[in-house]
Amino acid sequence: MLKPFRKVPVLNTANLLLVENEEQLQSRLGEIILQIEKDVKINVRLARKLPLPMDTQDSRPRIDLVVFIVNLMSERSLQCAEKSIKCLDPGFFLGKVCFVVTGARCLSVSTNHLLTVRKMAASLHCPLLFAEDQTSEGVSTVAVRLLGILKVAAGLVPLATGLSLNSLAHCVLPSDLDELDSLT
Amino acid sequence: MDPAVRNLLLRILRKIPTGKLEETLTKWTHLSRTQQQSLNYSQSKWILHENIVYLCEENGLTMKHVSELDMIYCMENPTSATWRACQLTDAEDDASSVELISFKEQFKAHLSELIRNVSIKIKKHDDESIWIRIAWGDHFSKPNHLKPTYVVHYLQTPYVFICNLSSKNKLLLHQALVLATKHGSIKDANLSGRSFHAVRDLLMGHYNKTFPTSHSRPLKERNLSPTHPNIVKEHIEQAEKRQQLAREAFGEGTVPKLERATYTLETRFRGGSGIDTFIDSERPFKTVVTFESKSLLASLRHCVSSGMAESPVSPLLSSITQKGRNYFVITDKTNKGPDMTTQSFRSNV
Repeated sequence: MLKPFRKVPVLNTANLLLVENEEQLQSRLGEIILQIEKDVKINVRLARKLPLPMDTQDSRPRIDLVVFIVNLMSERSLQCAEKSIKCLDPGFFLGKVCFVVTGARCLSVSTNHLLTVRKMAASLHCPLLFAEDQTSEGVSTVAVRLLGILKVAAGLVPLATGLSLNSLAHCVLPSDLDELDSLT
Repeated sequence: MDPAVRNLLLRILRKIPTGKLEETLTKWTHLSRTQQQSLNYSQSKWILHENIVYLCEENGLTMKHVSELDMIYCMENPTSATWRACQLTDAEDDASSVELISFKEQFKAHLSELIRNVSIKIKKHDDESIWIRIAWGDHFSKPNHLKPTYVVHYLQTPYVFICNLSSKNKLLLHQALVLATKHGSIKDANLSGRSFHAVRDLLMGHYNKTFPTSHSRPLKERNLSPTHPNIVKEHIEQAEKRQQLAREAFGEGTVPKLERATYTLETRFRGGSGIDTFIDSERPFKTVVTFESKSLLASLRHCVSSGMAESPVSPLLSSITQKGRNYFVITDKTNKGPDMTTQSFRSNV
């Protein structure tokens, strides 16, 4: 179980954990985030799934933001994210978790996958970002947005906390979807 | 020139790409140096072929010479048809003493005893393999050179590779092979593929195998580590282990190109009641799972190394390389290997 407050924070540092089963987008995202941020020291940890292995526990810093990257084209990716969420301490859901969805533009993707992710993000009150992973502009856009959330979650932005950002930016399901669900 | 010879020559020439034509003709040696120099390879294919046929007519070449050209091209490019591997069993005591000349004589004698109109050509390749081209006829018709069977055998090994063999002639060929190599019988090795070299390497173990070790690789070979010092991979140990497993199961570097692997499951339906169709449990329940890819072994290796397939590697998949076969019949009822990996495999290919 990954705990948010097990380690003491380091001054002027933000630590990001990217969880992606396919390992396609996460290293690119990490590199871009490190490139654009010069003032703050950022550590990026890449993982395929949670729980994280025990042997890297000592070297692992306090995680400020956990990002689950879900590729809608692969069912396995979704299942893996669903399983991984259970290994997070509930404390993370107070503004330290974010979902990124890729491949939503693809027409062959079944709409159920997207709906599942949205429901998951809505029930956990987490932000949900859509990413275009085929173009470099798309990747850098997501990187910039993630960096913004990370800085807030790490407490580097005055007068803003992860929790307050969450209450503004968390994913909401449209009400008609709920009605549709109750009908079926 | 006989129209049949001319026809065959044109057909063979059409098969050979223009880029390889010059090289093949040089190896053939039935056109003189000046004749070859007179050919203009930048001309259109049709005119070039007509010129070559004209030169061959001038030299008075016969069916024997023309079929040799076919053989030379096939020996250099054995990827045109499906090659099946066979294994000779029950070697006699003097089987290891068979050498080329006696094999040639024996094989020709036995095969022409069995069938009258047959044209056999035997050639030795640079790598000690014996290539046999057989054009089959029957009692009333001449040998058909348009659809020859190719057989490759390495002396002193039990392996024979056959392509383009019709079932009608199968028994005859098998009998001649068994007698000429002094073996008791021959059986199908359950391995086939479009590339002769891949089939051969897989069966005779000629490719880059990695043997299981408990030691991790030296540091310089670890290319998985990310570029930036601030990026740390949490699962690097597992990733390396998976890579190692993949290499152990499917080899390293370029692997033999195999196109498919087929698993036939023969079992009885043992589900709960309620499904009327399968309730007749006396009848066997057959399932066929086929994996297809341009290079199957490379795809499977990628599946394992990227974590898409469950590790450890299912013995059903790793036995493609370990046993050198790609057709399996599973009668063991507890084995669920292919079903488990079907889904993960499909996502890759």
